Amino acid sequence: MNDPPKDTATRPSDPRGWLDMATVHPARAMILLALGAILGLVIAGVALFTAKGTSTLHVPPEDVALVNQQPISRVDYINNLRALFDTDLAHATAQQRARVLNDMIREELFVQRAAELDVAGVDPAVRTSMVNAIEQQAAADAITSVPSESKLLAYFAAHQARYSSEGTMILRDFVFPSSSATAAAQTAQAIRAGARPVDQIAARRGARDSGRVNGEEFYFAAQIHLGDALFDAARRLPSGGVSSPIGAADGIHVLYMVRNLTPAPLDFASARRQVLEDFRNASGQDLLSGNERFLRQRANILIAKDVR
Amino acid sequence: MVSVPPGPRLRAVAVALGLLVAAGAWLISSAATQARLLRADPNAIAGDRALMAFALPRGGATFATHCAGCHGAKGQGDPTSGAPNLADGDWLYGEGRADEIEQIVAFGIRSHHPKAKDLTEMPAYGSPVPSKTDKVPPLSPPEIGDVTEFLLYLEQRPADQAAAARGSKLFEDRAGCYDCHGRDAHGDAAVGAPNLTDRIWLVGDGSRKAIFNTVAQGLRGVCPAWTKKLSPAAIREVAMYVYSLSHPKPLGRSGAP
Repeated sequence: MNDPPKDTATRPSDPRGWLDMATVHPARAMILLALGAILGLVIAGVALFTAKGTSTLHVPPEDVALVNQQPISRVDYINNLRALFDTDLAHATAQQRARVLNDMIREELFVQRAAELDVAGVDPAVRTSMVNAIEQQAAADAITSVPSESKLLAYFAAHQARYSSEGTMILRDFVFPSSSATAAAQTAQAIRAGARPVDQIAARRGARDSGRVNGEEFYFAAQIHLGDALFDAARRLPSGGVSSPIGAADGIHVLYMVRNLTPAPLDFASARRQVLEDFRNASGQDLLSGNERFLRQRANILIAKDVR
Repeated sequence: MVSVPPGPRLRAVAVALGLLVAAGAWLISSAATQARLLRADPNAIAGDRALMAFALPRGGATFATHCAGCHGAKGQGDPTSGAPNLADGDWLYGEGRADEIEQIVAFGIRSHHPKAKDLTEMPAYGSPVPSKTDKVPPLSPPEIGDVTEFLLYLEQRPADQAAAARGSKLFEDRAGCYDCHGRDAHGDAAVGAPNLTDRIWLVGDGSRKAIFNTVAQGLRGVCPAWTKKLSPAAIREVAMYVYSLSHPKPLGRSGAP
């Protein structure tokens, strides 16, 4: 004869019932339920009181203080100790630590007060600083990004004309009096025909060295020194070439190109550093423009009729 | 109701609880060590084996994810892009102290962060406006060549003596190189101006052509500010990892708090 089934719910006094998972134990169930609820509340409480933006009574280990819940960073604190007393955390005296901390708390309090008083609304210097800060921040990610090689190559291919070596030239610039057009033409003709030395040929016909260019120069420097018109004529001359007489305010110029190294296109490897910088700057500008577009879109801007 | 033998179930529950407790203990211990790492003087951490043992693997993982792309897997740098070697003990900014490294990791170099290192930049002397911040004139190709010879001379390498003499004058006068690199050309770690006498070159192989190009084209390296992308703990961990690259054998006490 089989034993009657045991009523598993009616054995609370059995001490084994607590651990016996095969039997139902109402008290155990209630206690575990309560423990779970308490644990959940504790986790929620910890999360609530330590999350950023919520009130907390605990200073996070990365900070040295909280001023109205605004953290004062330990990194900044250490940096200020170094800047003010040329010491580190381990060697700073109590007075030094207190001085730095008090200064930082004071600054934070004043910054918070400035925000309350809307200092940015009235102080042009603060407004300029804020605009600069936002501009810098908007472009920061792009400026320090590490684009893939394929992106750089694509950018290089799209802007290849920009990437060339800086041309250099060694040029002689002879100036004749405005009344000596014939002498200037004869000089150009003689040099073109191979007469040398060019200085003596020019001087014999009354020319002087303009003194604008001196030795080998980059193209940009020659352009600044010669002016656009003369530079434009010069850069077209091959090495050994002579220009036709060019009239200018200070007389008639004859240019003799000793050596002209014209800008040569750079390959990607040679231009990579510049490509990277240009890519980053362009991306930064795009981000900045996008940022401004977004701000304008979400803003409610009303413009007076008379200035529309 | 059929009763199941309690043994196996009990063991399973006990194992699960044990694992849970172990995981909780590990998390609590880890959080406590991390808090201790954050509260410690960064310059004292290298002397604490327990903190270093905690920080280095984590910092190494962060470095591999965020820094190795420019500085290389072992921090050896990349002379083609100008990313400095972090393992050679030659520091562009500061003296290689942990707190200095942490500042750079947090705020970057020319990163557009207000606290970034951005006091100066190497002018591009072969351009119409060599520097946006410093008033220095452009140099002609022969002048850049003279400065190049002077720099070779400083490194006690074969150089044209006459050109080096002219380059020296430019260095100390019109070009204004001395202003950042110092009259002895030993550099100034406060502004990130490298020592020009030690044969360590940030960009290129130190050849005559590479030096000429650097003087002509300038240099303006950037390093991101990680302060908004990494947690303070991750920043400190990666700073300690970078520190360890040039200080491979920390000597210190055990990790007693």
